Amino acid sequence: MNDFSELEAELKQLRPAPVADQLFARIERALARPEAAPSAGFLPRPSRRARAWWSLGLGLSGATALVLLGLTFFAEPPRPEPAIAEKTAAPSERLTSGFQPSALTQLVYRQRDEGLVFSPNQSERLLRRVRYDTRETMQWRNPRTGASLRVSYPAEQVVLTPVSFQ
Amino acid sequence: MERTLTDEDWKTCFAQLGPGLLLFARRWTNCRADAEDIVQEAFVRFWRRQHSIKNRALLYSAVRSAALDRLRSEQRRARREAAVALDGAEQVEPSFAAGDEGQQLLAAAVERLPNEQREVVIMKIWNELTFAEIANILEISQNTAASRYRYALGALKKALQPHE
Repeated sequence: MNDFSELEAELKQLRPAPVADQLFARIERALARPEAAPSAGFLPRPSRRARAWWSLGLGLSGATALVLLGLTFFAEPPRPEPAIAEKTAAPSERLTSGFQPSALTQLVYRQRDEGLVFSPNQSERLLRRVRYDTRETMQWRNPRTGASLRVSYPAEQVVLTPVSFQ
Repeated sequence: MERTLTDEDWKTCFAQLGPGLLLFARRWTNCRADAEDIVQEAFVRFWRRQHSIKNRALLYSAVRSAALDRLRSEQRRARREAAVALDGAEQVEPSFAAGDEGQQLLAAAVERLPNEQREVVIMKIWNELTFAEIANILEISQNTAASRYRYALGALKKALQPHE
C-alpha cells in the first residue's frame, strides 16, 4: 500500500488558483488573430529517442545509397563515348529571313548492339543491328543582328551491317 | 478514442486545464502575470496545431518550452535580476485557492518544495499525468520522475508533522 495515499488525497483537495476571465479573453483575442509567420516555435521537440531513430534511419539510408552508388559505378561496363558529328552548313543554304545555317550537331548518347538478325528481304542473310539514340541540333545565325535560332530534337537510327562468315 | 479540439470547446478545455497549467508555469516565475503570458502563448500555439485534447503531456511540454524561451530572454532576465536586487522580498502571489488552515499549510509546503520536485507533484497530482508522460515532458527517466515525486511527498509529510 502506498504510504503517501493519505497525503495524496489531501493534496488533491487543494485547488489551484482559478484562471482569470481576463486570460480567457486574451486567449480568445490571440486565437482570433491570424497566425504570425512561423517562428522557432516551442511546441515540443521530438523526444531524444525519436530523434535517435530518425538519425539511425537517415544514416542507414545514406549508407545504402552510397553502397548502391558504388556498385553502380564499379559494376557498369564503360559506355561508348558520345560521338559528336558536326558539319557546317553550306553557304548556299541561306534563308530569306537573313538567318544562315551555322551548325549541325549530332550527339550519340546511347548505342545498343541488338545482335544478329535475318534480313527482312533475304531471310538467309545475317545482319548485325545497332541502334543509336541521338540528339540532333541545328543552329542558324543572323550575322547582321547577331540573333541565333536553335532547334534540337531526339532521333533514333538503326544501322544494319551485313555479317559474313568465313 | 481521442478527440480533437474544435472551435467550440477550447474554452471548456482551457477551463479544465488552465489552473494546472498556470500552477506548472509558476515553476519558472513567481509572478502570476508572467505565468499567464507563458500559458497563453503555449495554449494558443497548441490550439492552432489542433492537438488532441487528451494529449496533455504535449501541452505541458509546450508550456515548459515557452517558459524556458522566456527565461532565456536576456532582457527579461536582466530585468528580473535587477528587480530582485532592488527588492529582495518579492511579492509572491498564491498559487492555490484559499482553503482552511490545514490546506494553507499544505499549500505553503508545496511552494517550498524544490522546483524539480514541485513540478513533478503538480503534473502528477493536479493534472494526473503518468510518470511516463512526466518523464517525457521533463526529458528525464521515469525512475527519476518517480523518485522526485517520492522525495517531494516525503518532504511534504515531514513538513506537516507537528513539531514537538
